[in-house]
Amino acid sequence: MKEKTLDTISWKWWLKNLFTNKNSLYTIIAIIVTLIIIGVLNKTLDNYQIRILNLCAIYIILALSMNLINGFVGLFSLGHAGFMAVGAYTCALLTMSPEVKQMNFFLKPMVPWLANVQVSFPTGVLMAGIMAALAGAIIGAPVLRLKDDYLAIATLGFAEIIRIVFTNLQSITNGALGLKGLPNTVNVWWTWGIAIATIIFMILLIHGSYGKAFKAIREDEIAAEAMGIGLFKHKMMAFIIGSFFAGIGGALLGHLMGTIDPLMFRFLLTFNIVLIVVFGGIGSITGNVIAAVIVTIMMEVLRVLDGRMDFGFIEIQGIPGLRMVVFSIMLMAVILFWQRGLMGTKEFSWAWLKRVSRRMVFRTKDC
Amino acid sequence: MAILRTDNITMKFGGLTAVSNLKINLEENQIVGLIGPNGAGKTTAFNMITGVYLPTEGKVFYKDMDITRKKPHEITQFGIARTFQNIRLFKELTVLDNVFVANHLRLKSNWVSSVIKTPRYITKEKEMHIKSLELLEKVGLIHVKDEDSYSLPYGMQRRLEIARALATDPKVLLLDEPAAGMNPQESQDLMGFIARIRDDFNLTILMIEHHMQVVMGVCEKIYVLDYGITIAEGNPFEIQNNQKVIEAYLGVD
Ligand SMILES: Nc1ncnc2c1ncn2[C@@H]1O[C@H](COP(=O)(O)OP(=O)(O)OP(=O)(O)O)[C@@H](O)[C@H]1O
Ligand SMILES: [Mg+2]
Repeated sequence: MKEKTLDTISWKWWLKNLFTNKNSLYTIIAIIVTLIIIGVLNKTLDNYQIRILNLCAIYIILALSMNLINGFVGLFSLGHAGFMAVGAYTCALLTMSPEVKQMNFFLKPMVPWLANVQVSFPTGVLMAGIMAALAGAIIGAPVLRLKDDYLAIATLGFAEIIRIVFTNLQSITNGALGLKGLPNTVNVWWTWGIAIATIIFMILLIHGSYGKAFKAIREDEIAAEAMGIGLFKHKMMAFIIGSFFAGIGGALLGHLMGTIDPLMFRFLLTFNIVLIVVFGGIGSITGNVIAAVIVTIMMEVLRVLDGRMDFGFIEIQGIPGLRMVVFSIMLMAVILFWQRGLMGTKEFSWAWLKRVSRRMVFRTKDC
Repeated sequence: MAILRTDNITMKFGGLTAVSNLKINLEENQIVGLIGPNGAGKTTAFNMITGVYLPTEGKVFYKDMDITRKKPHEITQFGIARTFQNIRLFKELTVLDNVFVANHLRLKSNWVSSVIKTPRYITKEKEMHIKSLELLEKVGLIHVKDEDSYSLPYGMQRRLEIARALATDPKVLLLDEPAAGMNPQESQDLMGFIARIRDDFNLTILMIEHHMQVVMGVCEKIYVLDYGITIAEGNPFEIQNNQKVIEAYLGVD
């Protein structure tokens, strides 16, 4: 633990490695292509569609953060909405201008030490992550000694407590009234930039020694411990890192919506993310990224189900919630047919792509 | 000086005394056997030594350090590694990763360096990788290194468990029925292998075995448990001719 991480980096060496390694070169190209596509979409799509594009990126961040905790370490945690709430409120309260805050807090004035603070959006997002991580550390210390369903109930309880606390801290959070007029700073570059950074971070973490230790814990706690892997330390680590990204996701979501209130962070929000993680394959980064995009878009497309539908011969009055019903049926179908989500614990990788394409070339030659 | 010593450890599960007043003494570089019929308390003894169970009474010493209340992962870090009777591999990990991850406890870099890949971390990771490959070579599993560990046949899984335990750089190795499910020839080969790794890695080995004959050739000292009680201790010759042992094993073998 004596190691100073930063001063041992030699950037030259690092960069050289980055560009001589074929896979990282492909990855860089893939990132650039993605960014170009995002740029084009940003110019051509209408506002509503751009909002969905942003949501996709935010759900990627949220799904990956949950996947780290639930998928890689195998902890059954359901506290995501709580960490998101911490992040969203932190960022909102830090970035809103004093005037906007004053307008919001008409029932009860805001505490003076917060009323006049205003930081830049990036600082706010970073603080959101840090505060959520802090919440993760505080809640993790007692509950990570629990297992399975007990952990699920404890984390669920934590998320509800956060919500209730935020509802009642009138002079800090403005209570049930929520906050309106969050700075409109979120754009595709922010959301997708952070989403891509999160993807890269997760890949590097999971492929490293710590990532393998996480998986070992997921596979067999007793054996992992017998191999010298401290359960508590590693669970805490994953939980705190996961909370950090959940906080950032929450902050971005809040700013995208423009308004936040405690009701937004109900269990349903956690459930949406669970959906994505299960759908994409618990423990697959690439599976989760794909699932986040599909699920987010489907959720919007299926919105028509909640409204009035006119089929010409029959007219259905709007049935609120039908969307979720249809969606849950789709999820069940995926689980029934693929068992472990789209990707299981498998990953898309360049090596895999090479294998598959080579196989296809051979096939076509055979014909 | 004893490298591992248990001082009258007792384990009670409710009304059942699974192990009572067990006194084991391992000298450096010995291979010692712990034998006894089904349910004698052998695995329970391992679980007390490795910190899985806290003994109801008594203490465990590693090189004169009291490790009784230490956590399992701390005990492994001190230098005591084990295998499991009911194989506990990391199923979704490849054969190579099963061994690789057992090196993790000696990694001195923190998680940040593993993400930004500092040269020091990279060097260490390479070392871990090479060491894992060497261990797989040693146990004869190098040709299946990229397979998922659950797909291996039973005998290979047992050898993988040994390779994984060795990767933690132990001084003391505890093997829980390593020969289970093997035919007599395979068992004998395994005993030869165990003697070899003792020499190659400078180990002290405590081995549980069900069948007395298997360990006779390789162990210098044997403890015999029956219903949790140590009914005999001594060299193979003494054990074989011990009246109590013969009685305990009657009808079993
Ligand atoms: N966690 C536990 N709770 C209650 N009883 C237990 C527990 N673990 C072991 N026992 C009991 O303690 C006794 C000794 O079990 P143990 O597994 O140590 O035997 P063993 O010598 O390893 O036998 P085998 O040769 O079958 O592996 C058995 O009667 C068993 O049922
Ligand atoms: Mg046993």
